[in-house]
Amino acid sequence: MAATFYGLMARFDTAPEIYHAAQQVRDAGYKNWDCITPFPVHGLDGAMGLRRSNVPKFSLLGGLTGFTTGMSMIWFTGAFDYPLIVGGKPYFSPLFAFPISYELTILFTAFATIAGMFILNWLPQHYHPVLKSKEILRGLDDAFYVVIEARDPKFDLNRAKALLSQAGAKEISELEA
Amino acid sequence: MSTHVATISPASGGSAAGSTRSVSAAANKALVLGLVGLAATGLGVVLSGKAAAFSYLTGLVFWVAVSLGALFLIMIHHVFDAGWSTVLRRQYENWITCLPWLGLLFAPLLISAVIAPGLIWKWTDPAYDLSQVGGHGTVAQDVLWVKKSGLLSTLTLIIASFVGFGGWTLISSRLRAHSVAQDNDGDIAHTHANRFWTAVGLPFTALSMTLCVILWVKALDYHWYSTMFGVWFFAGAIRSALSLGVILMVWLWSRGDYKGILNNNHMHSIGMLMFAFTVFWAYITFSQYFLIYMANIPEETFWYSLREINKDGVFNTWGYVGMFLLFGHFVAPFLTLIHYPVKLSKTWLPRVGAFIATVVLVDMTYNVMPSLKNSAGDAYPFLSLNLLWIATSVVGVGGVCVWAYLNSFAKTKLIPIRDPRIVESLTYHE
Repeated sequence: MAATFYGLMARFDTAPEIYHAAQQVRDAGYKNWDCITPFPVHGLDGAMGLRRSNVPKFSLLGGLTGFTTGMSMIWFTGAFDYPLIVGGKPYFSPLFAFPISYELTILFTAFATIAGMFILNWLPQHYHPVLKSKEILRGLDDAFYVVIEARDPKFDLNRAKALLSQAGAKEISELEA
Repeated sequence: MSTHVATISPASGGSAAGSTRSVSAAANKALVLGLVGLAATGLGVVLSGKAAAFSYLTGLVFWVAVSLGALFLIMIHHVFDAGWSTVLRRQYENWITCLPWLGLLFAPLLISAVIAPGLIWKWTDPAYDLSQVGGHGTVAQDVLWVKKSGLLSTLTLIIASFVGFGGWTLISSRLRAHSVAQDNDGDIAHTHANRFWTAVGLPFTALSMTLCVILWVKALDYHWYSTMFGVWFFAGAIRSALSLGVILMVWLWSRGDYKGILNNNHMHSIGMLMFAFTVFWAYITFSQYFLIYMANIPEETFWYSLREINKDGVFNTWGYVGMFLLFGHFVAPFLTLIHYPVKLSKTWLPRVGAFIATVVLVDMTYNVMPSLKNSAGDAYPFLSLNLLWIATSVVGVGGVCVWAYLNSFAKTKLIPIRDPRIVESLTYHE
């Protein structure tokens, strides 16, 4: 059985080249594509048209959960499950529940942020079609790649190839899934 | 990448002749406004006496907080060898020229401690009759004063204020002079000299500010203990100075001076600092309240009781002010500044800054004014004629500060053009 077609992988030799190529791919309206660079290229996220991530939404949820957990835990233990007068203070007051709630807010926010990042970036990924290509070794060393996936709704093999060569790709190869 | 690279045109390196003239006109207006405010406050002292003197202390200490916060931010910039804040540093250097004037404006309070002891600080007059404020006997008979009398005396007050204002003036003038001189000769020695003054200045300013604030504000109720007080003042100082910085940045942006200099990352960074110090303020203020609440010792709790209930158990207006501080000084800025777009917005960030600066003033009022007690030992209400005298003091002292700032602004370049970190700051990106 022939392997299914995954997408196109185009090589660029310098950071400015891939930066401008990314802008062109972005402007052509592709959504399912990525850049592979041996080191972080400043501003590439902007050139790729990436928006800010959705991780903060996970963080907010985690923070609210933590704060609520802290407050309700102190209320449950101190005022509901086993009411006990300590230091002449009321059974429950948000004041002395605050340090716990605050710590749990931070803890749960951190957990939710880490979890949110892993959920959103699909890591760890044990297999990815680009790993099949020998080119990836150069992508970790001295070359820059743009990968456009065939599942992109705008994808058309000839037009994508034309776009990449027009953007200055040194070499374009086809990837198997 | 290339999109972040800003270029300096000759016009943006210094103020153009036309705008300098309009700046001096604005400076004169600010001075006139300031003098009118001070005159009104003086009238207030004639009419309301003690209450207006307390209001003046509130207004003056607020501007001292803003200015010391600016001084701290400059020193923090140097001590960390910071990059991005270089473009903003010059505006703070312009602002701190008001410190000697603040010292001059503080002099009447010191003179009052000598010629009318007890007007503001009870302990400047050992014969002060404590029954006026709900106590017993005189200050000299009060064991809590006797034990603290080494620190709480008119002489210490005068010496601390002189050392404080003198030292701050010296440090701020050195920091500014070296920075301005570097514009002309580009000598790296000025950067090194500023690091020296910072290394000396940071511990000095931290200690002298704490001592001064303890004497000026905390000792209004000299029975009270709080180890958080100096840090509380520092938090308010930095928050108000950062707010001032944002307002100046956006003012210079809208005037056109900062076009091509200011980018989103500068806004984001100062927004993050505002956010961080919002949390810092909350941490300090909550800790102070919490430790006193948990320990429940009368020498400490009376300070908060005074600001919540009267002797007859009735919830007073200061209780609402306290709740306003909780929500206005922490919750609202926290929830606003946590949003990324707010930190970038040239419309919203200065508004948040103006709000924070206003609440710092309310916080100052909350700390100073309730110490003005009636014969039952209750605080006078928050809503009173005193608010007018606070307003005139804030306008009066603020007018002088703005005048000093604009005067210096007209004389110096807009940004430290030969600072070793200026290119890094102009092309700042995360």
